[in-house]
Amino acid sequence: MIDVARIDYWAASGSGAFHRASVLAKLIFVVLVVAAAVLSRNAQALAAGYGILLVVAAFARLPLLRIAMLSLYAAIFAMLYGISLRGVGLPVYGLVIFKAVTPALAVLMLIVSTPYPRLFSLCSAVLPELPAAGLFMTYRTFFILLDMMNNFIVALRFRAGLVRGHIVKAVANIPRGIAMLLVAAVERSSRLYAVMAVRGYSGSMAEKEPARFARQDWLPLGAGAVVLILVIAWK
Amino acid sequence: MTHMHIPDGVLPVWLWALGFVVMALVMGLSLYRLRGADRRKQVPLLGALSAVMLVAMSLEIVPLAYHINLTVVAGILLGPALGFVAAFIVNFMLALIGHGGITVIGLNTWLLGAEAVLGHTLFSLLGKRLPLFWRAATATVLTLMITTGLLIGIVAVSNANPVAFLEHHGHETGGQEGPISVERFAFMALGLGAVGWIIEAAITGAVVRFIAQVKPDLLRHVLHAGGSAKKGQEAS
Repeated sequence: MIDVARIDYWAASGSGAFHRASVLAKLIFVVLVVAAAVLSRNAQALAAGYGILLVVAAFARLPLLRIAMLSLYAAIFAMLYGISLRGVGLPVYGLVIFKAVTPALAVLMLIVSTPYPRLFSLCSAVLPELPAAGLFMTYRTFFILLDMMNNFIVALRFRAGLVRGHIVKAVANIPRGIAMLLVAAVERSSRLYAVMAVRGYSGSMAEKEPARFARQDWLPLGAGAVVLILVIAWK
Repeated sequence: MTHMHIPDGVLPVWLWALGFVVMALVMGLSLYRLRGADRRKQVPLLGALSAVMLVAMSLEIVPLAYHINLTVVAGILLGPALGFVAAFIVNFMLALIGHGGITVIGLNTWLLGAEAVLGHTLFSLLGKRLPLFWRAATATVLTLMITTGLLIGIVAVSNANPVAFLEHHGHETGGQEGPISVERFAFMALGLGAVGWIIEAAITGAVVRFIAQVKPDLLRHVLHAGGSAKKGQEAS
């Protein structure tokens, strides 16, 4: 399970240089790193870029080890893709892996340093109302679901629904659990939306994230630019 | 598993750019169709279904490297237009946690959105000929077969780009042939897919049947063949 609750905690509780930078600068940082991954033809250059991002994350007091581990999650799927490549050497496999993990690390640096309301508030400036509202509701409902799922698993264990050696019984309970979660999620989500509507929500965030730069933006903008220049220069 | 976990910079620019263009066009069309609908019902349902899809996708069946999607469930419950919006939200959130590249959001939305649209269409077309469980399960298998074909097609078309980056390493690519073995990829996708389709179909069928029994109003719009959800419940 991807630990979104922990990501949310890091985003809300940190006070490093990345946390103080504007959301706009951090989005540009992600775009620069993605551009570096797209343009890269050299595994070493991208590996160096990944290393630079790790140093920046440590400097900005982001949870270095955790986000480095989470970024490797993208490598698993890149390896699956790599299996279908033929007639290529290790440098190409390395390149595919770093093309996956480097942007993933940049995105993780963005989300562990930016509370979701700020991120979604800026997104809602460019997205139509329904997808923007849907993003916010999905995020909130996801947390409610995580909590409910833990309770559900405990309840299943109490009632011997998840017992070792009884695979058929356990497997039969999974769809019921998902369906129950779905029904409960719809009810909770409707209630949440009603509460938000009573408080004045009408499809957009009450507080808009200003799309302007801050003094602390030098770190994300500089880091993104360095990674991109490095990849372009290192041929 | 009919969305791509392909990293950024592997697919050719024209392909992922086309993915964003198609996504924007279909999204525009979907939002146009939803313009008059009640936001108080749409937004919570959209949020709930997208969140459940996210939870489902984060639970991996380890030996198969497969995860369920629940896109057909989303299509059945939300309808094609809102189902497509849910596909976009899910892909956006997944990209934010490193579960697939950012540049492939468009293509992935296109693939998952196609599952939602096809799932809804096939479920509606199958009508009352089958019990509810088998109706949802059949719609799921057919949908996933078609979208896996689309996925293989995208990978086949994308052969151009790896050639470009391999040339820098001086590898032979075998003349016209690209370095990705489409046959090997198709074999893997269909091999894993066949198992995955059955798992996804069984879960989708059971989820839809459960919802028809517990909260049939969620399914009312697709159980209209007999005039009410109750009839669908009886069919199950």
